[in-house]
Amino acid sequence: MRRNLLALPAAAVAAALLLAGCGGSSGSPDGSSGPAADPGPETGTITFTGTDNAETYQPVIKAFEAKNPGIKVTYTQIPFDQFNATMQQRLSAKDAGIDVYTVDEPRVSQLAAKGFLVDLSDLDGRVKGSVSEAAYKTNRFRDKLWSLPMWNSTQFLFYNKTALAKAKVTPPTANPEQRWTWEQVEAAGRKAMQAGGTKYGLFMEQPEAYYQLQPLAESLGGGSGIEGDDALTPAVETDGWKKAMKWYGATFASGLSPRGIGGFQTGPVFANGDVAFFVGGPWDLKIFGSSKVDWGVAPLPYFEGGKPVTPTGSWSLGINPASKQQGMARKFVEFAALDPAGNLATTSTTTIIPANLEAQKQYTPQMDGFSGAKTAGAAAITTYESEHTAVSRPVSVGYIQFEEVMGKAFADIRNGANPDARLQEATRQLTEAWKSIK
Amino acid sequence: MRQRQGLIALAFLAPALVCLAVLRIVPAISAVVESFYSESLLRGGRVFAGLGNYTDLLSSKDFRQSVGVTLLFTVLVNPIQVAVSFLLAVLFTQRAAGARLWRTLVILPIATPPAVSAVIWSVIYRPDGLANGVLERLGLPAQPFLTSPGQVLGSLIVLLSWIGVGYWMLFLIAGIQEIPAEVREAALLDGAGPWRRMVSVVLPLVRRPLAFVLVADTVSNLLVFAPVQILTKGGPNGNSNLLMYDVYNRAYAIGDIHVAQAEVVILVALTLAIVAGQFRLLRGDQ
Repeated sequence: MRRNLLALPAAAVAAALLLAGCGGSSGSPDGSSGPAADPGPETGTITFTGTDNAETYQPVIKAFEAKNPGIKVTYTQIPFDQFNATMQQRLSAKDAGIDVYTVDEPRVSQLAAKGFLVDLSDLDGRVKGSVSEAAYKTNRFRDKLWSLPMWNSTQFLFYNKTALAKAKVTPPTANPEQRWTWEQVEAAGRKAMQAGGTKYGLFMEQPEAYYQLQPLAESLGGGSGIEGDDALTPAVETDGWKKAMKWYGATFASGLSPRGIGGFQTGPVFANGDVAFFVGGPWDLKIFGSSKVDWGVAPLPYFEGGKPVTPTGSWSLGINPASKQQGMARKFVEFAALDPAGNLATTSTTTIIPANLEAQKQYTPQMDGFSGAKTAGAAAITTYESEHTAVSRPVSVGYIQFEEVMGKAFADIRNGANPDARLQEATRQLTEAWKSIK
Repeated sequence: MRQRQGLIALAFLAPALVCLAVLRIVPAISAVVESFYSESLLRGGRVFAGLGNYTDLLSSKDFRQSVGVTLLFTVLVNPIQVAVSFLLAVLFTQRAAGARLWRTLVILPIATPPAVSAVIWSVIYRPDGLANGVLERLGLPAQPFLTSPGQVLGSLIVLLSWIGVGYWMLFLIAGIQEIPAEVREAALLDGAGPWRRMVSVVLPLVRRPLAFVLVADTVSNLLVFAPVQILTKGGPNGNSNLLMYDVYNRAYAIGDIHVAQAEVVILVALTLAIVAGQFRLLRGDQ
């Protein structure tokens, strides 16, 4: 008995040590990738890691392999919710099992500062000429280029035609000059609920993501939430942010939007016909095509008295400095981002906008036909938004902390926390989190 | 001869000892060392911070809330799980029809990875999910399981118990089955009823497995991570922000590895303190 009991603390210590085992040190903090890395072998297999389904990248991998005999690409998917944290863990452990990975554009600066990206500045001239100014800028940090923009994005207001007809509401048009206000959407959504057409009036695809909620505050002149010369001063308590979050919290408190349905369980709510208005991205143009619901697309709304603002930006491609096969990795990212045919191939299964302007020119006109008549107007909306209303997420070396803190704040506001108090709390948390960066 | 035997024993043990050193002891020492450093992205370089990371943590409102939530969770979840496992073990060792089938059903969730269980429960707990469907059938109002600060910890305890009790029950069933038949018969001849037999015969005789279950369950509940990450991300308002999740969040989401390592050291100290306390209590009963 006694011997057994003595063995138990040993088990507890072992468990405790297991706990302590997580960790590792980060890479070179000055952002340099060191002396030019050995390009490694000319043939072999490289690993590409991202969040999308494997089918998304099959066409580009196939096209690349056909063009580069001897090089194979294997793709590893990490779910979106766990992607950033997992990559942080693997990159800081200098895991050579990743050669190429997808980089969320606002994270470029911190990833570069931590030494998690290979300097691609020798491609600067080619990138500048082949993508939009906004895409070019967000992939640069401290006068160097760190990743190649692969995709671009925008948001649409999807509406359930049947539910609106039942509520005798004339749906919004696809004309960006006649875009609806959030107030109009809210009123129409409530009518649809009352008429019994749908369970909910309005729902956002990523209800706790900065990418989708930034336009609410920016539409009211609230700013991005980050200010200062070093872009490390929180500014989420502006009038615009407070007003936007008050409105956002109320949409859940009143039952217009549902609580408790997480990030990637939201699309099916619209596809099942349970919501009148849904804010989603270009990828939904094809996904919702298989839904039995009759729907249409309109431009993203704005607040009455405010200005139209839409989100933009998407995934770029970067190379892991710990990769032992950087030569092959470089060939692949160049093909997938800078070669129009390669870039176009990345968008053939998932309907997302290619970042390469040449590829975009060929791609955008097709958007109107992704799901027959339902997607009519999508191409014109996309072109208009990218020219007039698109606002990038802020470039800051503290963006990763910012996104995490704000994501939790949005979740709490959605679940009923007082918006003003919660934004104040977010300011405190950001100040605390950024202290170690400064 | 004896020395040779010792060398042979050492050779057999070597792989395990090397693994223990490389996988456990070295990272543990490195975590303690790293917890005294800090790193600035803007200034660059790693500097010695002394106890700076620890004082930063202790002065952080979020960290103090996380410790409070973890302690509350520990106080609630362990007695509940041990009591339920014990009751189920007693029930499933009775000679009753279908006991084996029920036992298998209770054990089944062990085979499901915690992340999968969490995904299943995320659907159950949805506003239009199974749990609210059942409540509606019973004529009760729908509940905001994971979105209400008051219910979230309870909802996690239910989920974790669903995963865990079958596992802990196995140890207790083994313990109960080891009780000699003559002891049970003697109790029966003395006219002890079922309750009396459970309290005065079964409970004292399964103290060993019970002690193991309590300690191992406590350690495992202090390491709960996947359900928090998948279902609540520590919310609403930090009410499910258990320490293990907070460590992960600090290390890999926020990216402050040094403060996270200081937090790991604190979590280990807390785990050891709780486990040592439990041993003290158990030793008193020897």
